Amino acid sequence: MPREVILVDANLGNLDSVEHALIQVGASVHISSDPDRVATARTVVFPGQGSFGPSTNAIIQGAMGDALRMVIERGDPFLGICLGMQLLFDSSEEGGGQPGLGVLPGQVKRFPADMPAGEMVGARMYKVPHVGWNDCQPTNEHFFFTHSYYVEAAAPEDVMWTCRYGRIEFPAAVNRGNVFGAQFHPQKSQWSGLRFLRSFILGGRG
Amino acid sequence: MLKRRIIPCLDIKNGRVVKGVHFAGLRDTGDPVEAARAYDGQGADEICLLDITATVEGRETFIDVVHRVADQIFTPLTVGGGVRREPDVRRLLAAGADKVAINSAAVANPLMIRQLADRYGSQCLVVAVDVRKMPGREGDPEPLYEVVIHGGTRSTGLDALSWCEQVAALGAGELLLTSMDKDGTRDGYDLWITREVAHRVPIPVIASGGVGSLEHIREGLAVDQGGADAALAASIFHFGLYTIAQAKHYLGEHGIPIRPHETPRGVTISTASLTS
Repeated sequence: MPREVILVDANLGNLDSVEHALIQVGASVHISSDPDRVATARTVVFPGQGSFGPSTNAIIQGAMGDALRMVIERGDPFLGICLGMQLLFDSSEEGGGQPGLGVLPGQVKRFPADMPAGEMVGARMYKVPHVGWNDCQPTNEHFFFTHSYYVEAAAPEDVMWTCRYGRIEFPAAVNRGNVFGAQFHPQKSQWSGLRFLRSFILGGRG
Repeated sequence: MLKRRIIPCLDIKNGRVVKGVHFAGLRDTGDPVEAARAYDGQGADEICLLDITATVEGRETFIDVVHRVADQIFTPLTVGGGVRREPDVRRLLAAGADKVAINSAAVANPLMIRQLADRYGSQCLVVAVDVRKMPGREGDPEPLYEVVIHGGTRSTGLDALSWCEQVAALGAGELLLTSMDKDGTRDGYDLWITREVAHRVPIPVIASGGVGSLEHIREGLAVDQGGADAALAASIFHFGLYTIAQAKHYLGEHGIPIRPHETPRGVTISTASLTS
C-alpha cells in the first residue's frame, strides 16, 4: 500500500521534480494548495525555494501556516525541503527580519560574503549562494545544495546532519519527532536523495 | 566541503543530440533522454542541455526534450540556447529545468537578468558569457577580452570582466564562461580569463570551451589555475574518450575536491515505480 503524501503547493517553486522523486520511491502523491486538505493530511512534504518575504509571510500568517502547524502538532510525518526547512524555525534575517513557523527554535542567517577560500594572500572568497554537492556528516553522503541562507539551530539535538561551507557548519538535515527538514534538495541528489526520501516515506525517518 | 562539479553538456537540434553520444550500452546515440540517463548513472554532477535549433518548431521540440529528460533524472538540469524572453524561461522551468541559461538576451537587455532573478530566484538563472581575447597593444597592463554573442559571430564592444561583474550584480545565480578562442580546440580552457572572472565575481563560475583531456578539466578547477567552481565538457565524454567516473577518479587523485562516483544502492530508477 503506497504511502499517501500531500505535497504542499504554496507557490514557492516548481513541484514537479519533488513529486516525481516521491513517486519514484513509492509514494502516492497528491499536490494541494488547499489548507483544509493539507491540515488533514497524514504525511506532508513542504518544499520551497526562494526567499523569506511577502510570499512566506502570507503562508506563515495565513490558513496554510495553521494547516502546517496542525499536521506537526498532531504528530504526523512532516518534511520541509530547503526554504520549507528554514520556515520551520523562528525567523530569518532576510528582508530585515521575517517570521517562520516557530516549530523549531533558531534563526536563519545569510552566508557571510567574506570567508576566504584558502590561506594564500589574495585568495578569493567562498561564493554565495552555496551551490553544488557537499558532504553531510555523520552520514558522509553527498547531497545537492543551492541556498544563500542557512539555519542556526538553537537546540543542537534538533540537528540530524551537518554540512560545512567555509567557516560555517550548518544543519543539512534536522529532526524532532515527526518533523524533518532537509536543507539540500533530495529530489536533485540522485541516489542519496532518493534514499533519504524513501526513508522518510517508509518510516517517517530520515 | 563543497565539491567542484562536472557537467556534461548535450547540444540538441530538432530533438536529437547533435553528433550523438557514443559510448557502450547506448542503443540510440542521438536520444537525449538516453544520453542524459547514461550521464546521470555515470555520476554527472549536473546535466546541461543546449538548444541549437533556433527555429520556432525547434523551441517546442526542445521543451518536450527538457520535459522528458527531467522526468528521468534526479540531478540538477540546466537548459539554454536561444532563450530570448521571460515566457521562454517560464516554460523551460515549468518543463522541469532547474536552471535556465541566457546569453545574448542579457546583453541586449541587462535588466532582464534582474527581472528574471526577482521573479524566479537567482538559483534558477545562469548567465552565459562568451568571451574572446582582443589583440594586444604595446603597454597593455593585462590582456583585454571582449564579450561576443550569437555563437561568437558578433562583437559587442563590451569589456568581458566588467560585463561579468555587472551580470553578478544584477542577480545571476551562476556565470557560465566560454572562451570562444578555445572552444572546439581541445587545447584546454582559457585559464587566465577563467581565473580572473572567478576572482572578480561573488557567484559560482562554470568553465566552458576547449576541454580535450582530463588534465584540462583539472586545470580549470584548480584554485590556483582556472579557479572555476564547475567544468562543462562535451566532446571528451560524448565520444567515449573518457567516462565521467574516470574524470572524477583523475581529479580526486590530483587534489581536486570532487564527489566520488557512487554506485546506486537501495533504490533503482526506472520508469515504473520503485523496486528495491
